[in-house]
Amino acid sequence: MVNVWASWCIPCRSEAPLLRSANEQFGEEVRFIGIDTKDQMSGAREFIAEFDLGGFEHFFDSSGDVPGSLGGRGVPLTFFFRAGGELSYLHNGVIDERTLALHLDELVRG
Amino acid sequence: MEFSLLGAAAIGVGVLYAVLWWEAKRGNAAACTKDLWDLALGSAAAGLVVGRLATMIGNGVNPAAHLGDIIIVRAGVDTGWASLTALAVLSFMGRGEIRAVADGLAAAVLAGLAGWHGSCLFRDACLGTPSDLPWATSLDGSTVTRHPTEIYAALGFLAIAALLLAWKLRPPTLGLVGATALAAAGAIRLVTEPLRPALGGRPNLWYAAAIIAGAGSAMVLTARARRTRGKAPLRENGTRDRAP
Repeated sequence: MVNVWASWCIPCRSEAPLLRSANEQFGEEVRFIGIDTKDQMSGAREFIAEFDLGGFEHFFDSSGDVPGSLGGRGVPLTFFFRAGGELSYLHNGVIDERTLALHLDELVRG
Repeated sequence: MEFSLLGAAAIGVGVLYAVLWWEAKRGNAAACTKDLWDLALGSAAAGLVVGRLATMIGNGVNPAAHLGDIIIVRAGVDTGWASLTALAVLSFMGRGEIRAVADGLAAAVLAGLAGWHGSCLFRDACLGTPSDLPWATSLDGSTVTRHPTEIYAALGFLAIAALLLAWKLRPPTLGLVGATALAAAGAIRLVTEPLRPALGGRPNLWYAAAIIAGAGSAMVLTARARRTRGKAPLRENGTRDRAP
């Protein structure tokens, strides 16, 4: 699961606790990757610490090119990729608990 | 940003309004002097805000420091706190005639909830936990078939709303329709909640509490009505004949 976020993005703050819970529940079966886009490194570190998102692998994308190359626009974005790398689902905007749990379950069972 | 939840809310509120309008033409809640529409919207708005705040606090986010987060309801609204607040505000706003208010709103609120859950069809968000039942369906490109959980909830709320509307044609004891609606709403959520995808298990105590409160109120109201029916009418001097 790839989540695109930024520390200045208010909706990203809203979904961060859900993503942490998801990582706690599915972290052993699904790889959680965060892409911090168009951000400052200091703000990004504070964001990760504030929401305890250390369980993710985070990558810094100062140019903002990575989400676009994956087919998404804006932040937040959440991509769900199957084990073979095929995109299973792309969620634009804040993700809710049901959608997050459903698509993670799909990845685990698929 | 995705505004599909706003659309779902609009469908729910629209159905609520339509049922209230339809019932008003048939003398709904004749004993009630309050505006049911105002009461429904006011209590729902208060419930939404408190439910959102409860979720933020539960997630360790300080609402006072992040005021902008409050409006992002998609990130979570605690149903238990939202329902409790809505009921408390409704009780306050409808004080003095809460039984008539509850009866007047019962069917419309359940129909509105049916609209809210049924809107999953437009949001592509109906599916729940895996199932092998014949009507189970799957996400596009998936082989995992799942319960159409939100459809179950929508049909449940719709069926109860229809039954309540039929029941109100022969008005039962004041307050009984509202109490029954509360118990039924709790039961539908209690049954469907385990079929929804969720992060971690959570106790469904709020739904069980709604069933107990609704069923308990219904029993008390019924017992009171029986006692009153058993009494002979009051004489002018305030005394009664012996009950038959």
